[in-house]
Amino acid sequence: MSALQTTLRRTTVVLMPMGYHPARVWCSTRAVPTDGKFRVLDLKKKSFVPHAKKKYNKTITLPPRALSMPVDQDWSNVWPGPKTFHPATVPLALRQGYDPKRASPGKYGNAELMKIPNFLHLTPPAVKKHCSALKKFCTEWPKGLETDEDCDRHFPMTTITTDYCHSSPTIKDPKSRIVTMKIKLSTLNLDKHARDKMIRLVGDRYDEESDMLTIVTDRCPTRKQNYDYGVYVLTALYHESNTFEEWERQKQEADMEYYIWENNPSKKAYVTLTRWPEKVSDDDVKSHSIDDDTVGQKYKEAVTELLNNGEDTYTLNKYREAALAVLLPQTIQA
Amino acid sequence: MAGPPHTIAHIKGWNSWNTCNMLDGLRPAETAIDDEFIRRFMMGTWHDLIASEIIIKRQHNIIRIAAITVQKISVTKVYFLIGYTEEILSYWLQCPIKLELQTVEDRTAVVFKYI
Repeated sequence: MSALQTTLRRTTVVLMPMGYHPARVWCSTRAVPTDGKFRVLDLKKKSFVPHAKKKYNKTITLPPRALSMPVDQDWSNVWPGPKTFHPATVPLALRQGYDPKRASPGKYGNAELMKIPNFLHLTPPAVKKHCSALKKFCTEWPKGLETDEDCDRHFPMTTITTDYCHSSPTIKDPKSRIVTMKIKLSTLNLDKHARDKMIRLVGDRYDEESDMLTIVTDRCPTRKQNYDYGVYVLTALYHESNTFEEWERQKQEADMEYYIWENNPSKKAYVTLTRWPEKVSDDDVKSHSIDDDTVGQKYKEAVTELLNNGEDTYTLNKYREAALAVLLPQTIQA
Repeated sequence: MAGPPHTIAHIKGWNSWNTCNMLDGLRPAETAIDDEFIRRFMMGTWHDLIASEIIIKRQHNIIRIAAITVQKISVTKVYFLIGYTEEILSYWLQCPIKLELQTVEDRTAVVFKYI
């Protein structure tokens, strides 16, 4: 340590800016409180006051609308469309609900009234309004189709399809593809053979009582395809019925669908009886006519009815009368 | 209304109205799930406000939700909740939703019978 070192230290001190104090204390108990109060460390939070629960002020509600409704108002403006029941809007003293001891509950706060579907939007004046609004879209009924018979004559075929409405987001229903076609067999241009063949081809799709042929097609995925297929089937049936195949000649008496008196031994027996004692051949039986023979006609009718309609009291009695008239004409006349 | 299930259609009505559970109805399972979802959504969104069952009626693709609520929150909030419910549900279920509410002053006004 010498005089030189002392001089250097002094120089350093001189170089420091004025007012700088390297050992200054920033946090100190000498700090003045900002809010004027002396702050205390509050570990247990004794001074915390919880927020008071927010009190709900009751909403001011208007009195029910039904009380101030004029008597001559237009109800379809109040209730224009389907809507759940609302007691303040409907000016009716309704009650709904089941209580074995008390009266049914009133309309306010009654969920039962809200559950049940109402038709307050379909009052007769509202329906009338709808109809008058739709009237301008209607066209006149075509002339010449006044009666059902006219319609049947001009449009012999009926096509039935069904559209389904669901209360669900889908508009598709697999059942709507089904197409039913109805046509009277007598409106088709068919001869005796073709008609018989058609009835055999269609089977139980033909209803004998109403003479109606019904074709139901549901095998294709869309309605259009089913309709086209139905038309195709009908066309094919018609042309197939009108063709005469070679093998159809082999039809025998046992294949007949109903009893024909002329082709049967019953006629031979009758002819043999009427022409007794001369002998009759098969050609004689074929050529024998009963057009002028009332007894023969009656006998033919009775036998045909008995074999086609089955045995019952009526047909059997008729057969008895006819047989007696043939065998013992004098008994019947006497 | 209180009552065992066999009293439905005798002394009380159904809470869900749709054609799905009829003979040859379409989408019965999906509709049941949707209804349950709507019920839970309503109970959560209108928390502590619904005083009755939630009635769900379907017409074509429209779903109408009816319920009785308590006048417990401000009208502004009710309007917001109606719009919110209709908007969110129609976004989820992809069909128009209508909320048809009735309000009562007190929850006890809806009580029919104490069991």
